[in-house]
Order: sequence, then C-alpha cells, then structure tokens
Amino acid sequence: MTARTYHDSELVDFAIVGSGAAGGVIARELSRAGLSVVLLEQGPRMTPAQFEHDELKYWFLSGITNDAVKNPQSFRNDPSKDAALAVLKPPLWYARTVGGTTVHYTANYWRFHPIDFHERSLLGSIAGTGFDDWPISYEELEPYYTKVEWEIGVSGLAGASPFDPPRTKPYPMPPMPVKSSGVLFERGARKLGLHPVPAPLAINSVAYGGRSSCVHCGFCHGMACEVAAKASSLTTVIPEAEATGYCEVRPDSYVVRIETDPRGRASGVTYFDAARRERFQKARAVVVCANGAETPRLLLMSANGQFPQGLANASGLVGKYLMFNYTSRVEAVFEHELNEYKSVQVTRILHDFYDSDPKRGFYGGGGLDARIGPQPIMWAQRMALAGPRWGSEYKATLAEFPRSMMVGCHGTSLPVETNSVTLDPELKDAWGMPAIRTTYRDHPDDLATARFLQERGAEIMDAAGALRAAKPPVTEQSNSMHLLGTCRMGDDPARSVVDRYHRSHDVRNLFICDGSSLVTSGRGQPTMTIQALAFRAGEHIADFARRGEI
Amino acid sequence: MSALSRRAFLIGVGEALGVAALELSWPDIAAAAMEAGAVAKDPAGATTLLAAADAADIEAIAAQIIPSGATPGAREAGVVHFIDRALATFFSRLYTEFHAQLVEFQAACRASNPDVASFAALSSQRQIEFLRTVEQTPFFDRMRLFTLLGMFSAPMYGGNHESAGWQLIGFEDRHAFEPPFGYYDRDYPGFIVEPGKPA
Repeated sequence: MTARTYHDSELVDFAIVGSGAAGGVIARELSRAGLSVVLLEQGPRMTPAQFEHDELKYWFLSGITNDAVKNPQSFRNDPSKDAALAVLKPPLWYARTVGGTTVHYTANYWRFHPIDFHERSLLGSIAGTGFDDWPISYEELEPYYTKVEWEIGVSGLAGASPFDPPRTKPYPMPPMPVKSSGVLFERGARKLGLHPVPAPLAINSVAYGGRSSCVHCGFCHGMACEVAAKASSLTTVIPEAEATGYCEVRPDSYVVRIETDPRGRASGVTYFDAARRERFQKARAVVVCANGAETPRLLLMSANGQFPQGLANASGLVGKYLMFNYTSRVEAVFEHELNEYKSVQVTRILHDFYDSDPKRGFYGGGGLDARIGPQPIMWAQRMALAGPRWGSEYKATLAEFPRSMMVGCHGTSLPVETNSVTLDPELKDAWGMPAIRTTYRDHPDDLATARFLQERGAEIMDAAGALRAAKPPVTEQSNSMHLLGTCRMGDDPARSVVDRYHRSHDVRNLFICDGSSLVTSGRGQPTMTIQALAFRAGEHIADFARRGEI
Repeated sequence: MSALSRRAFLIGVGEALGVAALELSWPDIAAAAMEAGAVAKDPAGATTLLAAADAADIEAIAAQIIPSGATPGAREAGVVHFIDRALATFFSRLYTEFHAQLVEFQAACRASNPDVASFAALSSQRQIEFLRTVEQTPFFDRMRLFTLLGMFSAPMYGGNHESAGWQLIGFEDRHAFEPPFGYYDRDYPGFIVEPGKPA
C-alpha cells in the first residue's frame, strides 16, 4: 500500500523530529491511536538491500552517519578553552538515516535495573554533579520493557541472571548461539564465582516479527543489517506506523527550528528538504526525538524573542549533563581460534558488579560482556594499545586476530553540568546552521569505575586461560555514540527539561523523548531503555491528544 | 562487485541532491573506489595524484609499518595505490596538510641522511632508525592510519590487493556463517542456570 502523505500546510496532529529508537516507536504509537503524524528525518531512507559489508565506508567515510564535512563538530575537554574542529569524524556520532542509530547499533538490549532510577536516594548526592533520581521507577517502566522485547523483538534467556530485574514475561526468542568468546568468558567468570548469562540482543535468533533470523555475518557494530535480523526502527515500528494510514515518513528533511506562536506554543517545524528549500510543517504538537546531541541543538537553535535561551530552556539545562558511559576494555589472546569476526557482537554478559558499592571509595558500577574483536581495520588500529605500533613484531601480532577477543566493561557516567552540547559560536554546518560544540571531561569516579571493571574483566580472562590479557589505558574520552542526559526528565521545572510524561515544562505542546531524557546513564546499552521510555511516552502523549491536552 | 556498485549508486541518489556543491559525497567515493579498483590491479603500477618520488617514499614508509616477508605486507597489498586514490577523492580535504607533512618528513630525512637521496633509497635498517625518530609525529600517525585503511579495507578501494590484508590476519570475507564459530564453542554443552542470588 502507498503510505499516507500530508501537505506542509495541512495541520497534522504531530510533527516528530527524528526517526530513530524513540521517534519510530512514538510515530507508531501515535498513528495507531488514529493521530496524524509526519515523521521527519535528516537522512535518506534506505532499504536493507542497500546495506553492505564495508568497514571503511561505515566507520571512516560516514557512509550512513553524520560526517565531519557536512556536519562538522567541535570538541573540548576544558570549558575554559576554545573547542577544536574534529577533522576525521564527528565526536558525537550517530546514524543519519531513517531508523537512526537503531540501523547501525550493536543491539545489546539489557534492561536498566531498579537502582538506576533511584540511586541518589540510596547513595546520597555527589558533590559537583547533578546526580538525581528519575521521576519514574523501574516498576513503572517494566511493562514497556516487556513491550520492547515482544514488539521490537529481543532474544535472551529470562531467569538466567540472579541480578535480572523483575519481569512479567520471558523473552520471545531464545538467546543467540554462544560464540567462543562467550564460552571462555563464562568459563572464567564461573571459576571466580560470578554469574555470566546469555546476552539479550535485539537480534533474531529465530525468524520473528516477519524478519529473518541472523545469518551470523559479523557486521553488526556500526553497520546496517542486510537481512533485517537486527531489529531497527526502519524494519519494525516505522513500516507498522505507515501501515496505519496515518503516518508519513519524510526523509531528507532536516529540521532546523521549532516555531512558536504568540501564545508560546509550538506551531510546527521549519526544515530543509532534499533540495535545500526551507519548508514549514504545521502541527498541533511537536515531539523531538533527534538524539541526545541533535535534540538540545535544535532547542537551542529555536531561540526566539519569546524564548531567548532556546526552547524549553527556562531551567538553563538544555544540552547540559551530557553522559557518554565509559567502556573500558580487556584485549585477550587465546591458544586456539575463536573467529570472533563471525556472528553477533556479544553472547555473554555479567552483572555482578552492576551496583555501586560505597566500600570501593567511588561511585559507579557496570556490566561486563564477552565481545567480538573489532573488524579488520579497527583491529589493526587497536593493536597499538597492546604492543608495538609498526614493524615486524606488529605484523606478527596482527595475525592474532582469530585468536583474540575483548571484554567490554560498560560503566556509569555521572551527570556533570559542564559536560554539554552547545552551539559553536563560529562553526557552521553545510546548511549554514550552528555546529554542535561538545564539552566533556569524565568525572574521576567514572574513570575509577572504568578501571575497576577492567580489572575484573582481566581477572575473568586470566581465569579463562588467556595467554595474554591486555588492559588498554583508561583515559579521558573525546567521542561517543551514547548521547545521554541533555534534556533530563524530572518533576521540578527548575532542575529538569521535561516532566515524567516527556512534556517540556515550558511549552505545553512540545514533547521530548530520546537519550536526552535519561537522568542517569545506566551502565551502557541505553537503547533498550530509550525505547521503553518511548513506548510509555507514546501511550501518554496519545492520551493527552485524545483528551485535548496538547 | 557489480551488486556493490549498484548499491553504492542507490545510496548516493538521496545525498547528491542536497550537497552537490560540497566536498565528495558517497557517489563520488563509490565512483572513485570503482576506478581505483580498476586501475590498481597491479600493485607495482604508477600512481595518479602522487609524484613518483613521493609515492616511493610513502610506499617505503608503509612497507616499514607492515613489512613484507613470509606473508605479504603493505607493498604487496598495494597500499600506496589506496593512499593515492584516497587523497585524490574521499580524503582530498586532507591532501594539502598531508603533503606539507611529507615534504617536512623528506627534509628531515635528508638532513639526517645527507648521503642518500630519499627515504625510499635508504637501507631498510636506516629507514627503521629514521622512523623511530619521527614515530610520534602527526605525519607518522596519518601514515599509519592510511596504511591500515589501505591494507584492510575492501579491495575495491585500491589496496588490500587480492585480499592480502585479510589473509594476513585470517579474516574470511563471507556474508553468512554457522555455528560452531571457533574452537571453544565446538563442544559447548549448553547454558546451565546456576543457583545463586545476589547478596
């Protein structure tokens, strides 16, 4: 069937900005409620048949992502210094295509734990940070986690982990077949009395949701799935939204301003179309799901006479409290071949160190996983961290590729106010719009957590019989794909940007839902939680619309 | 490879509409890559953008980063052709800086080795000795990155000749695999839930 289209001048119920993890879900929920939706996406619309195995293109030439030429960004660690232009790759990196980052993510889909939502109450405040409780609890979000697992499609084994948060249903699919990395990780961890379990992944272990099962090609990370076994908004909720007859997906539509009317309400969005014509889509309400970098940027770019600080920014917190998570690594080499370049990224995880423990002397916790070694180029680059960077000896270590694996140690990031997305005062993108300027310095506790988790990972690899387990130095981050916290949720309008239903405190008919909504960082793997939030937000926003409260 | 070029073309359509005036976008990259694949069949062939003397130095540096030996190195993989095409096309914005750094490298090399005409003409031992003095420079980092990209990216980009890079590290370029994937998962008995509650 041909999907519904709308004219710009037609007043639709919702203009949704961004078609990724959250935007796709909310578009489906609203259009299933019979509400008219235009879903605007910066990037092009592609099909799985157009995706390919090409590490250079996807990782170094911005094949489907924002790129350093058209979408330049600047970065600094120190807020008192000028930010420097990133030449090769934007520091905040995301897929710029219909489906957004769900198209190129790894699809690790563990749930946050109950403590993630009320850790401040448990542990107290942390000086110099905006560490806070969420306005909602795990219990409130649980039904939506279940919804993600069943409606997006997650494979896994419920009940395997003694640390698994309470759940109302098992996973709809069995876990993916274990890889050698998973077997070794499990062996080492069990020797140490720990609890490794099959990894939950938004990847089909069997045919599910009209999509095929995984063919184990090994190109999940940063790549797009050619057989749609990896769930993305592009292949799940977006076609379902279109099937309602109420949703138009508008690719190559780069929203640069949310307009407001004299009453201070959002009236629609101004965007550049593929031919760079400036257009305006009228809407009763606007939902921003553009990711933790582009969402605050859009709100700041939407400053006008009525809202001189930017839209929804009376608190001054739009763009602040950026959190990356920290992933430290252990690189291990074994006697025999693992061939980690085959199949999914992760098959075993471990949550024994998830909780923060005051006895450690710093805040933080995390999850570990047994992980694929990187693809060939990244493998060769990374060897520099473990030994010689060039020459015969370097060449010899390159050949350890099939015998190597990695433990990913995914830790917390504290919300620090100076860690932020702002508009660069000079740098412009190819459309003449202000570029993203990122200021970021890991909190000392985040680095301590990363090192602590790395030690645990190395112990597991040693116990598993690794010939060598290297610990690349934990240093300050200067880039990320986890873009969290920049329009945080909260009940207090002075300390948050959106309320518990993702409605902005300042503009009644402006909703924001994506990684920016997170109050704390979790322990990595944020997309599952972003989608659970989106299912919940979609339900509430549809109710508001039905009751005339938008 | 024809399927790949079709895909690359399709991807380019959407992008090209808005960004024609900008630097290279995907269709240009894809076209350049195709061309590179066509011209770089012979790793010993001539370069297009790089002058012969510069190309010789670049190839010699790359060949010290991943040396030849019992298995092919950067020279046999045609890395210099990848670099030549990359700087002419998708990395053209990096060329001016790269070339300036190369000139500086060459001058420093002559200053340290006044008896020899170029880095490429030095003995392997003297090349290694000189590289040790510059391995912390931005130029060396860039050369290393380019060498690795040329060694391990898809052969259609002009390097990784006959998949020499992939063979070196034991990477199999296939679109589907089946378990068992490696030695350790071959006899895995299945996951057993262990008793145990968190403290």
